[in-house]
Amino acid sequence: MGAEHAWLLAAIPAGAFVVLALFGRYLARGGDWLGIAAIATSFALFFPVLADFLSEGDGLGPFTAAVEWTRIGDFSFPMGIFVDPITIVMLAVITTVAFMVNIFSVGYMKGEPRYWWFFAVLQLFAASMILLVLADNLLLLYIAWELVGLCSFLLIGFYWEKRSAVEAAKKAFVTTRIGDVGLLIGIILLWREAGTFNIQEILRLAEEGHFGHTYLLVAMLFIFIGAMGKSAQVPFHVWLPDAMEGPTPVSALIHAATMVVAGVYLVNRMLPAFEVVDETLLVITVVGLVTAILTGFMAFAQTDIKKVLAYSTVGQLGFMFVAAGAGAPEASMFHLMTHAFFKALLFLAAGSVIIGTHHHQDMNELGGLWKRMPITGTTFLIGSLALAGVPPLAGFWSKDEILVVLDKQWGPWAVSLLGFAAILTAFYTTRLFIRTFLGQPRDPHIAEHTTETPPVMTGPLLFLALLSVVSGLVVFHEVGTALGFPGGFGEFVFLPSHGPHGYEFDAAFAGASVVLALLGIFTSGWLYWGGRLDRSTRLAEWQPRLYDMLVNKFYFDELYQAAIDYGILGFSYVVSWFDRYVVNDTGVDGSAQVTGYAGFILKHLQSGRLPHYAMSLALGVVVLAVAGLVMRG
Amino acid sequence: MVPLENYVALSGILFALGVYAVLARRNAILVLMGIELMLNAVSLNFAAFASYLDPDRVTGAVFAVFVITVAAAEVGLALAIVIRLFRLRATSNVDEAAELKW
Repeated sequence: MGAEHAWLLAAIPAGAFVVLALFGRYLARGGDWLGIAAIATSFALFFPVLADFLSEGDGLGPFTAAVEWTRIGDFSFPMGIFVDPITIVMLAVITTVAFMVNIFSVGYMKGEPRYWWFFAVLQLFAASMILLVLADNLLLLYIAWELVGLCSFLLIGFYWEKRSAVEAAKKAFVTTRIGDVGLLIGIILLWREAGTFNIQEILRLAEEGHFGHTYLLVAMLFIFIGAMGKSAQVPFHVWLPDAMEGPTPVSALIHAATMVVAGVYLVNRMLPAFEVVDETLLVITVVGLVTAILTGFMAFAQTDIKKVLAYSTVGQLGFMFVAAGAGAPEASMFHLMTHAFFKALLFLAAGSVIIGTHHHQDMNELGGLWKRMPITGTTFLIGSLALAGVPPLAGFWSKDEILVVLDKQWGPWAVSLLGFAAILTAFYTTRLFIRTFLGQPRDPHIAEHTTETPPVMTGPLLFLALLSVVSGLVVFHEVGTALGFPGGFGEFVFLPSHGPHGYEFDAAFAGASVVLALLGIFTSGWLYWGGRLDRSTRLAEWQPRLYDMLVNKFYFDELYQAAIDYGILGFSYVVSWFDRYVVNDTGVDGSAQVTGYAGFILKHLQSGRLPHYAMSLALGVVVLAVAGLVMRG
Repeated sequence: MVPLENYVALSGILFALGVYAVLARRNAILVLMGIELMLNAVSLNFAAFASYLDPDRVTGAVFAVFVITVAAAEVGLALAIVIRLFRLRATSNVDEAAELKW
C-alpha cells in the first residue's frame, strides 16, 4: 500500500454506493453496515497512504500517476491522481469526518424512510469528494465537482415530501450552478491556451508567463467564481442556510466540513496561478472579508440552531478565503482542517439536540438543556469555544495564523476588519450556546422529555471534540515531527515560491486574538446570560429597522427574488411572446396555413378527366423538347 | 439496306398517331389501342437504332421483346379496368369517368 493506491480511497465508497443503490433496500438494516465498512476502510487506508507519502524523499511529495482516459485525434485526455500535502490534509479531513458522520447517522436517521438511500448517497458523496481532491487535472476535478453538487442536491432534498426541502435543494443546485458555469468557462479558457487540463502543467505555464496577463486574469476570476459558488461566498451565500433542510449529519459532512470547502481547496490548489495575476488576490481577500462580516451579522438574529451554524460556516469559509487571498495556503488549509473538525462537531451536536428534544431546533423553545444532555452540552461547548477562538483549542491557532499572514500581506485595514468578524463569530457562538443549553427552559414541556442521545451519536461527538481540542497543535514544529511530518503545519503545506513557514509565536497577535474572542463572548454573555432576553429585546426595539434588516438577512433573498420576478421573468415573457406569435403562429403554423390555402385554390386544376391529364402530359413533353432544342442552340 | 431515317420517320408517324388516338378518342378501348401504337413505335425505334449502332448484337431486339411482354400485361390489366368501368357505368367513354379528383 502506497500513495499510488490513493485512488482506492475513492473507489471503495463508490463500489459501496453501487451496491447500496441497487440492493440497499433489501439488505439488513438498509445496508448501513456496508456504508460504514466502506468509509471505515477508506479511513483506515488513508494511514498507509500517509505513511508512504511521508517516507518518500522529503515527505512533501508530490506523488502523481495517470492513465490515458480517451483520445480525440492527436489530443489525449489523461486522467490521474495527484497527491501533495494539500491533498493529504483534505483526505484526512474527508475520511475522518465522513467516518464519524456515517456512525452518527445510524442513530440520527433511525426509523427514517429511505434509510438505505441516505447511506447510499453518503457513500457516493465520500467517493466524489475524495476524487475531487485527488484529481490531477481540471476535467476530472470538474466531474467530481458536479458529482458532489449532485449529492448535495439529493441530500438537501432528502425529505422530498416537504416542499421547503425541495425548494432548498433546487435553490442550492441553481445557485451553485451559476458558479459552476464560471468554473467551466475558466477551465476552458485555461485549456485553450495551455493545451492541457493538467493542473500542475497549467500552474507551471502560468508561472513561466505563457498566458497573457489579462487572459490569465479573466480565466482565474472565472475559476474563483466557481469557488465562490461552491463555498457560498457573498453574493452566492444564499443557498447554504436553506440547505439546512437536509438531515443534520448531511449538514455536518457536506455543508460544513467537506463539500463547501471545495472552493477553498480549489483556490489553494491554483494559488500559484492566482499569485501570477495578483489583482485576483485582492478580490479573494475582499470577498472573504465581506462574507465573514455580513454573515457574522446575519447569524445574530437567527433563532434556528442550524441556521446560526450555517451562517457561521459561510463566515468561516470567508476566513479561509481571506487567508488564501493573503497568499498563505498554510493558514487557509489549517483553518479549513480545524474548522472541519469543530464545525462538524457543532452540527452533530446540534443534531444530537434535535434528536434529544424530539425534533426541536428553535432557540426560542430550548434552553437549559445542559443538565439533560451533559455529553452533547460539553462537546457543544468545546466546539463553540474552538469556533470562538479561545486558546488552546483548534480554532484559536488557525485564526491566529490567518491574522498574522493577513497583516504581512495587506496590513492593518484587513486585520482590523477580520478581527471585527472574529468578534462577531465569538458573539453569535456564545449566544447560540447560552440560549440552547443554559438558563431556564423556555418550554418546560420540551425540556422534560429531553434525554441524552445513545452512544452511537455521542461517540462521534467525543471523538470530534478531541480533534477540536488537539488538532490545532499540529502548527508546532515539535508536534509535527513527532507525528512523522516534516515539521509543523506551515512546514508541510506551503507555497513552493514562498518556502516553508515555521510557526512563530507572536504575543501581540495571540493576545489580540484572545481579547477579540473574549470581547465577543462577554458582550454576548452580558446580553443573554441567565436566559434573560430583556437586554437583547430592548436592543432590538432601540433600532427596529436595523433589527429587521438582520432578521431578513440584509434582504438578499428578496433582492434575488425581485431580480427573478422582474428581470428574468420579464425577459422570459418577451421571449415567450416571440416564440408564441412569431416562431409558432407565423413560422410553423403560418407556413402550414399558406400551404393549405394554396392547395384549396389549386385543387380546382384537377378535373378528373383522363384526356385532360393526357393532354397536359403531351404538352409537357412538347414544352420540354422545345426547351431542350432552344437550350442546345 | 433501308436507311435509319426511314425507320425513325415511321416510328415518329406511328407515335404521333398513337398520341392522337389517346388524346382525341373517347372510347377507352381505342385509347388503349393508341397506347399500344405508341409502345410499338418505341420498340421499332429501339430495334432500328440497335441494328444501326451495332449490327452484330441484338440488344434493341431484346428490349423490344421486353416492351411487348410488358405491354401484354398492361393491356390485360387495362382491359380488366375497362370491363369494371363498363359494368359500373354501362359505358366505355372515358369522359364519363371523371371522379378521379378532389
